[in-house]
Amino acid sequence: MDAKTIKLKIKRQDKPESKPYWQEFEVPYKPLSNVIACLMEIQRTPLTADGKQINPVTWDANCLEEVCGSCTMLINGKVRQSCTALVDQIKQPIVLEPMSKFPVVRDLQVDRSRIFKDLKKAKAWIPIDGTHDIGEGPVMSDSLRAKRYVLSECMTCGCCLEACPQYTKDNGFMGAAIFSQVRLFNLHPTGEMTQEERLETIMGKGGIADCGNAQACVESCPKNIPLTESIADMGRQTSWQLLKNLLLK
Amino acid sequence: MATLSKDQAHFLLLKIHSLTGIVPIGVFLVFHLAINSLRTVGPLQYQLSIDFINNLPFLFGIEVLFIYIPLLIHSLMGFYVVFSGKPNVLRYPYARNWLYTLQRLTGGVVFVFLVYHMGTTVVPKIMEGKTLFAAAPFLIDILNQEFQTWTGRIIYLVGIFSATFHFSNGLWAFCISWGIIIGQTAQRNAGVLFTLVGIVLTLLGFATVMEFSFHPIPVTPTVEG
Repeated sequence: MDAKTIKLKIKRQDKPESKPYWQEFEVPYKPLSNVIACLMEIQRTPLTADGKQINPVTWDANCLEEVCGSCTMLINGKVRQSCTALVDQIKQPIVLEPMSKFPVVRDLQVDRSRIFKDLKKAKAWIPIDGTHDIGEGPVMSDSLRAKRYVLSECMTCGCCLEACPQYTKDNGFMGAAIFSQVRLFNLHPTGEMTQEERLETIMGKGGIADCGNAQACVESCPKNIPLTESIADMGRQTSWQLLKNLLLK
Repeated sequence: MATLSKDQAHFLLLKIHSLTGIVPIGVFLVFHLAINSLRTVGPLQYQLSIDFINNLPFLFGIEVLFIYIPLLIHSLMGFYVVFSGKPNVLRYPYARNWLYTLQRLTGGVVFVFLVYHMGTTVVPKIMEGKTLFAAAPFLIDILNQEFQTWTGRIIYLVGIFSATFHFSNGLWAFCISWGIIIGQTAQRNAGVLFTLVGIVLTLLGFATVMEFSFHPIPVTPTVEG
């Protein structure tokens, strides 16, 4: 057997408030490996490239088929899921870093609760529960269903936010994922009935008007969601809402 | 009308930022470059256009209301916009991300250029009280001198290019921000169209600079009758 190896360079951090540091690793080559497989190998044999015993690298992962978004990290400088980052297709040493726009929990794990907080703020759901039966909703056309399906593929991984120059760690900008979800629920015939509430939240600080149209979001979306169309559509809906607020209220 | 909350004011200010970039500032830029290019037709035609502007009623009021105040609002909000983001174009070197970065950079350049441009033209004109037919020869004299050196020419070339770039790219961003253009194909096509607009405006400006640089012709005040 030849001793072919996979070289990795990983940015590590022990605690949320501690300083990050770099470590290098070398794991035995296995064909068709992905980055997660390398991290599992380090977990089994927690040794650095120069043989030092260390605490294993921690990371988040769940579905392993690019639908949950939890294994998102910076791989060779760009944000993507580590489950679909195949070793044979990327440059070595493979440089792994946690996402830079969210607080690090440990090593490659980050706390993305800001996204969920913003989704809640934007009421990214359809209210159907109440004290009484509100009956059946309107019928949705198939073309609308198809349009919404693409938007519904968002897995809240945060790639669009990580790549966005307008989304910084502390400026409160909501970002493409949120705007696209507002569009998804405003497009729903029942969701449309509460669209104003959603529009009002993205017409605040950190809302749609802060978007600088760098369009790095759509370039980095692993699900190819037309985020820039969603942003423009939200631009249209909020512009109308602004006119309504100025002229009708 | 109810009073605005802090959030609503924030949104409204950014919308005003976007709008003032096109109306009146963008419209002014187009007219400014187009009228100035009369210099390539002849010094007299150019002088008559300045005469016309300087003989407008309520000129100072028009300038303050439709140029200086919108420019000030657009600039102040512009500085807020620049510092609210953090360019990452080296990590994500996509075309639109470059344009995002350049839009902020050219905004800053245009601001500095305008301080210079107004400081050498409008400010002395007002300070020395050159109005009506006296304005044109005074301004043309200043410009003839400014375009004597390559430093002066380069300042204008950089300033004009930054302004036309900022305007034509801003036109595209305006269409997205107000939801005039939505689809990805439409966005791409609009990008091509506004690039052409930018090229035409830049050429207009550059032609005027060249004409001033290589044919500096002094003029005497237009006489009535």
